[in-house]
Amino acid sequence: MILKAVRWLREVGVLGMNRRNTEYIMRFNPRSFFPLVDDKLKTKQLAKAHQIPTPPLYHVIEHHGDIRDLGKLMSDHQEFVVKPARGTGGSGIILVSNHTEEGFTKQNGEVIPLKDLAYHISDILSGIYSLEGLEDRAFIEALVHPDTVFDAITYLGVPDIRIIVYRGVPVMSMVRLPTRASDGKANLHRGAIGVGIDMGEGTTLKGVHRSQIVTHHPDTNKPVTGMQVPHWESMLLIAARTGDMTGLEYLGVDLVIDRERGPLLLELNARPGLQIQLANQAGLLRRFELIDNAPPEIFSTPEIRVAWALDTFSARTLN
Amino acid sequence: MKRPATLLAVALLLLSFALIGYRVIWLKYPIFPAAPQKVWRLSMDARVTGGEKETTVMVGLPFTDRGQTVAEERIRSGTLPFNLLREGLNQIGVWSGVTSPEGEVIGYSATIQVRPSHSLKAKASTFEPFPLNVQEEDQALAKRLVEKWDPLPPVDRLRRIAAAMRGIWGSPPPDGQDVREWSAFLEKHSQLDAVLLLLRAAGLPARVVEGLQLAESVTDSTLTWVEVWTGQEWDCLRPEKGEIHQKPVPLLPLTTNGLSATRVINGELSNVRWTLRREIINQWRMQFDRIMRSNRFLDRWSLFRLPPEFQRTFRILILVPIGALMICFLRNIIGFPTFGVFLPVLMALAFRNTGLAYGLGIFWGVVLFGYVVRRQIDKLRLLLVPRLSVILTLVILCIIFFALLGNKLGLREFMAVGLLPFVILTMTIERFFVIVEEAGAREALWTAAGSAGVAVITYKILQLEPFQLTFFVYPELLFVIAAIQVLLGRNTGYRLLELFRFRGFWRSP
Repeated sequence: MILKAVRWLREVGVLGMNRRNTEYIMRFNPRSFFPLVDDKLKTKQLAKAHQIPTPPLYHVIEHHGDIRDLGKLMSDHQEFVVKPARGTGGSGIILVSNHTEEGFTKQNGEVIPLKDLAYHISDILSGIYSLEGLEDRAFIEALVHPDTVFDAITYLGVPDIRIIVYRGVPVMSMVRLPTRASDGKANLHRGAIGVGIDMGEGTTLKGVHRSQIVTHHPDTNKPVTGMQVPHWESMLLIAARTGDMTGLEYLGVDLVIDRERGPLLLELNARPGLQIQLANQAGLLRRFELIDNAPPEIFSTPEIRVAWALDTFSARTLN
Repeated sequence: MKRPATLLAVALLLLSFALIGYRVIWLKYPIFPAAPQKVWRLSMDARVTGGEKETTVMVGLPFTDRGQTVAEERIRSGTLPFNLLREGLNQIGVWSGVTSPEGEVIGYSATIQVRPSHSLKAKASTFEPFPLNVQEEDQALAKRLVEKWDPLPPVDRLRRIAAAMRGIWGSPPPDGQDVREWSAFLEKHSQLDAVLLLLRAAGLPARVVEGLQLAESVTDSTLTWVEVWTGQEWDCLRPEKGEIHQKPVPLLPLTTNGLSATRVINGELSNVRWTLRREIINQWRMQFDRIMRSNRFLDRWSLFRLPPEFQRTFRILILVPIGALMICFLRNIIGFPTFGVFLPVLMALAFRNTGLAYGLGIFWGVVLFGYVVRRQIDKLRLLLVPRLSVILTLVILCIIFFALLGNKLGLREFMAVGLLPFVILTMTIERFFVIVEEAGAREALWTAAGSAGVAVITYKILQLEPFQLTFFVYPELLFVIAAIQVLLGRNTGYRLLELFRFRGFWRSP
């Protein structure tokens, strides 16, 4: 039984946690480059230097003393997002969609007073959401208005696009759709749906919700398959360039599509999750091997890498 | 990438096996130190009374040779100084000094492992002269009685002599006159002299041995028997019964070559009592004394050289890496979630004092109570470090409460909670709270159950006495553990729970 399961997974080329850690993360992601992606502010600065668009940054809060001025700082922003710079798995992020006298309206409609928000930021600075519990910085950036294409299959929150990049080549991707259970967050382990994407066409495939294969959104009951993801090629190009930008060769690139601004880089992940394989019903290992066996000239520029990926990883070529 | 790790693992394994091999082959360590072994516990005690002059008591004591290992020797000497002497083939314990008027109690005890397969296989002894008190005509008589057996091999000659001691001379019977003379000789001499005379006449080297019957017993006297060299080994002959002992010989020699087992100069020995008891101990105990006295490098650097009060700690510490290995296994092979790496190991250590049921109960109690309080504290909006300090204080208060409760109820296990890893418990409460908030109570409980499960398994391993002893005797086994840890660190296979997680791929190859 166990051996059979192992054989099935091998045949599909599924990448497991142990192999991901030993043969890909440790081998292709030098430890010294991790701070670039573990700290979202550093990623933002780096992206800016490489002309990769990110959501506009409003404020950075570094010291507990700065929190006192929070009310003043926020007075000219109607809506915004508070994030810990070193947060993981979407923890510590608060989306504020409205700002009135009583307080801040969160994405889910709950209104929290200023002192609650201040307390939350103080928590962030103390490092409660940071990777190793180290002191952290909080930052406030513009709230993204997601492209309407996914409205029918999103429950609150902002859907995002995760693209896995290996040696600068986009390998696999999915749309992450928030659900009621995930509280508007797009993280799969919180209950969001991951919907695979045909790399060649940029159209959605089936989805995965808590390890179950799904074809409809559990809250809206609308089908998730067969949708065209806008700006597909330009997103692949952004993803392909992040490899050069960070020096990391195995990355999870998270993008959002803003209604006005187009694709924006949200964050990078040096330890991307493996659930994406279920969403795509395909193994990462198989695709990594295709890249490792590819001729060296395909690695020359991001554009060539994307073109090669569009061709190689399209559903038509793979089947 | 995989090769250096494998090489390191192999090197660690080789290092470990080399050290163990060296200990087993050259230093004669037992391969399974914890394996049970049947031994004899010998003890002797007696009262010495003497006059104003110096009294000397000499007692033949067993010693380690090819046939037996003697360990854990204890001497009781009262006010008398004690010395060990070698006297020919014997080891003599000598108590000497002026005894107090009411006498002194002396004693000796030892654990003896008898190895029957080697017993009595010594070199041939020299030919003993005729017993001193035997006349020449008796010597001639003995020669006449045994000469017809001369062509027989030594074993058969011995058998005929043994039979003769029972009065059976076999056919053809000896001359009637000789038999009568022999009977007269027996009336004047002891059975022992008689058998020695016949053996000498038959050309069989023999020696007189005094010792004890190997059986659970308490006795005030020793036995005397004759050991006869039959070309390959020493056979035992009981002169008074004319009986040859079958192998293995159930006898424990104390003195050979005619020395008396107990001798006293200027005094008297009374209430002599020899006790033999069967005991089952582990093989290690037999080696212990020898290693404590040994000057070999590895023996001098043995953990047994530590003061006993520290040894207890190291017996446990040395097993902690196995606990860590268990966690590597559960996380990387099975894929089970736990709170951190060290919580389960520290929990397991704490369980040793509290016991499993109480330990688990207290763990869950403190974590759940801490969680409830943590939820309330959340509303107070405390900063991270002060908040953790509050929970730490709460945990300490819980532990104090349990200790006081235990004292009231007379439950030692409750009072032992002081050894629970309180810092780890504090962090667990915080982590538990964060996991409940972020991933739901199910995930949090699952992780807590995983941690508790690993702690229980680790505890069970730590409690295995044979395991403790084996690692204590061979600390280099830790290199084996490290080698397995290195190999696990390079494991690229699927985790067991991952197979289930990716079950969506099962039917679509």
